[in-house]
Amino acid sequence: MLLNSLLRQPGRLLAAALLGGVALAAWAGATPAAHPPVAPGSPLAKPPADAASAAGPDEEHDDSANLSASARRIYDVGRPRLLQVRTLLRDQDSQASVGSGSLVGPNGLILTNYHVVSQVALEPQRYRLNFQTVDGVSGALQLIAFDVVHDLALVRMAKPPAAVANRGTFDFRPQATPPAQGERIFSLGNPLDIGFEVIEGTYNGLVERSFLPQILFSGALNPGMSGGPVLDDKGRIVGVNVATRRDGQNISFLVPAEFAQALIARGANAKPITASVEPEMARQLLVHQQALTTRFAALPWRETKHAHYSVPVPQEDFMRCWGSSNPAESKGLSFERSDCQMDTAIYINERLRTGDIAVRHEVYDGGKLGALRFAQEAGMSFRNENMGRRTHDLTAPKCQEDFVESGGLPMRTVLCLQAYRRLPGLYDVAVLSQSVDAKAEGVQGRFDARGVSFQNALLLARHYLQGFAWKRSP
Amino acid sequence: METLALIETLDRDGQPRQILRVPQWPVRIGRAIDCDLVLDDPHVAAHHATLELHEDGVHVVPAPSLNGVRLGRAAIAPGSKARLPDAALLTLGATTLRVRQAGEVLAPEQRFFDLHQYERRHAVTLLVLVVLAALWKGFDLWLTTAPGQQGSALAWAYLGAPAGLVVWCAGWAIGSMLFQRRFAFWAHLYIALTWLMIGVVAEAVTAQLAFAFSAPVLEKVGRIAFVGAMAMMMWRHMGLLLPLRRRAFAIAIGSAVAVGGGLLLVDRFVQQQPLVGDLYLGTISLPGLRVAKPVSVDAFVKSAEPLEKTLSHWAKPGDEDEDDTPGDED
Repeated sequence: MLLNSLLRQPGRLLAAALLGGVALAAWAGATPAAHPPVAPGSPLAKPPADAASAAGPDEEHDDSANLSASARRIYDVGRPRLLQVRTLLRDQDSQASVGSGSLVGPNGLILTNYHVVSQVALEPQRYRLNFQTVDGVSGALQLIAFDVVHDLALVRMAKPPAAVANRGTFDFRPQATPPAQGERIFSLGNPLDIGFEVIEGTYNGLVERSFLPQILFSGALNPGMSGGPVLDDKGRIVGVNVATRRDGQNISFLVPAEFAQALIARGANAKPITASVEPEMARQLLVHQQALTTRFAALPWRETKHAHYSVPVPQEDFMRCWGSSNPAESKGLSFERSDCQMDTAIYINERLRTGDIAVRHEVYDGGKLGALRFAQEAGMSFRNENMGRRTHDLTAPKCQEDFVESGGLPMRTVLCLQAYRRLPGLYDVAVLSQSVDAKAEGVQGRFDARGVSFQNALLLARHYLQGFAWKRSP
Repeated sequence: METLALIETLDRDGQPRQILRVPQWPVRIGRAIDCDLVLDDPHVAAHHATLELHEDGVHVVPAPSLNGVRLGRAAIAPGSKARLPDAALLTLGATTLRVRQAGEVLAPEQRFFDLHQYERRHAVTLLVLVVLAALWKGFDLWLTTAPGQQGSALAWAYLGAPAGLVVWCAGWAIGSMLFQRRFAFWAHLYIALTWLMIGVVAEAVTAQLAFAFSAPVLEKVGRIAFVGAMAMMMWRHMGLLLPLRRRAFAIAIGSAVAVGGGLLLVDRFVQQQPLVGDLYLGTISLPGLRVAKPVSVDAFVKSAEPLEKTLSHWAKPGDEDEDDTPGDED
């Protein structure tokens, strides 16, 4: 019950907090995990003394004996190949954000998250990338490839220093033998820029009902660890740190290693990216939206229990639906609400997440209000919907509206689209529909898809509207 | 004896304070008691000026003085003279004189705006308007609240608008007091209520029609009608203060609406918003009021296809604005 109410709280954009690539100062307010306003005793609230001791990674600590023997062994193996990836302002040495990375190939090839390097990728004229190893070697980095959908990027040292030449690289755990649920795995990274850490946790399989596969890691990830490797007890990469749930504890997410291997296979020999990344980003997102649209549109709508209305409610294959209603003793409008959304959204920049679908509806009973007041209430609710506005990334919405009939049910329907200003061919679509058949009852539904092609936007809108119907009273 | 002219001494409001009938020329003006027109003004010389009849009419001839003589706005130097036009305004020191001569062409008679008459004539209409407005407000309150809400809270909500209206009209009535010497509260209330009701009803009716015929443009017409009604209201209020300045007020309000509306349109255009009204029609009305037939889902979705052209035009780089990061086009 409590968990439900907590889970309902996060907006769809921020259900999962990313772990790096963003200024720590900015995260401090946004992510409970970044600061310690968490319950005392929780592993996230690190006493300052520990933080200070973690800053000297090269020293041998007496308390290192507290770590399990494996964690210590893993850290020793991983330490030479572990790095911090820093985004600096182009013209000064101030860091704008920090993340982590791992050496995965010859000539200083480093794997990290896309969101760790997104500022450099999108605004190379304002930012540059730097690395720092555990033992203090540093230098410039160049972006060479990225997978925006799975939040991965490859960067390469511009001039690999001799000191890092013979450090070897991390191996990947073979895909044929995935870890078993409950297996110990070890996350490496530099949380909050206070020092490199190894964090012991548990592999818990893939996150259920997630459109994009993510590993559920039961361990405490923190901002700044993004892009760091997660190793099995043989020191092989099983995943990459990417996000954590702010409303849970020790609920963290990893990008499965197979996507990193695929990116390395196609990008390891690429030249540094000098042109705009936006066309390639748009191409990757178009591939993703095609897969998402095809899968979503192939699913039938679920049966709804309402006496008069069939309402499009999605299957929960890769979405989660929460329901709510107002108290029965209320004297005004009674309503029941269902809110379905995807857990994963694709990070583009600090302001923009995309590549997901949300469906919600409210069923109204205005029996206590009468026809006029019901129409007024329904109108207020219909009018209040936010259809978006012009931003740095999106055009203003442009809408089409009419009375639409589906399955014998007349509705007032508005279809709004916004185009991406920097990612050609991508659109956000919102469909708002309000039944206008009855004097004192009705249904209002809203469908949203972000980052789809124009054709798919219309296809999804049609699919959604066709999910409405009027049912003959039993 | 025949009156050749009238010399009126005007007060600060432009009303005659003292009138001298002129039976013969010349007329000497000054502070000394041997003058024909004696002015009690410390800024006037003992003998300040003389009005003389010449072949081509009456002239003002200033005598030497500290503050001089002005005819209209022009200063007349001592030793020179100037002919007086019809209804000439002379300034001597701090005193303004108007000289009206026999045989002048008079301006046509102006219609008198009788506030008393106006209020009496509209008394019944005003009563009807007050009742209508009270009913409208009550209906609106009923419509927008759920059953069983607290009565005292509703009373405050109900009384807020009339209280605002009283303050508004009292403000204008004080204006009338200033210019017309009458606290014309009822006249201003009549004007405010008339145009408020016209605006509100126009907006409500067009919104209902827009729903009935699935014509969002009608709602936009309603918005414009409301703004028009408010502009009319302002114009009528101002006209009550200074009835003879109505033309100037019309130009002023028209310009304000044109400039303000123009800026708003440009801003909305730049922001890619609809020029008038909301993004979409927000009215949901009774099912029985719907006249327009619904279209099929396929037809509706097909009708959205042209949006692509507009949106891709909007998304096109080039017509970029200041929120863009420089260098992105490299």
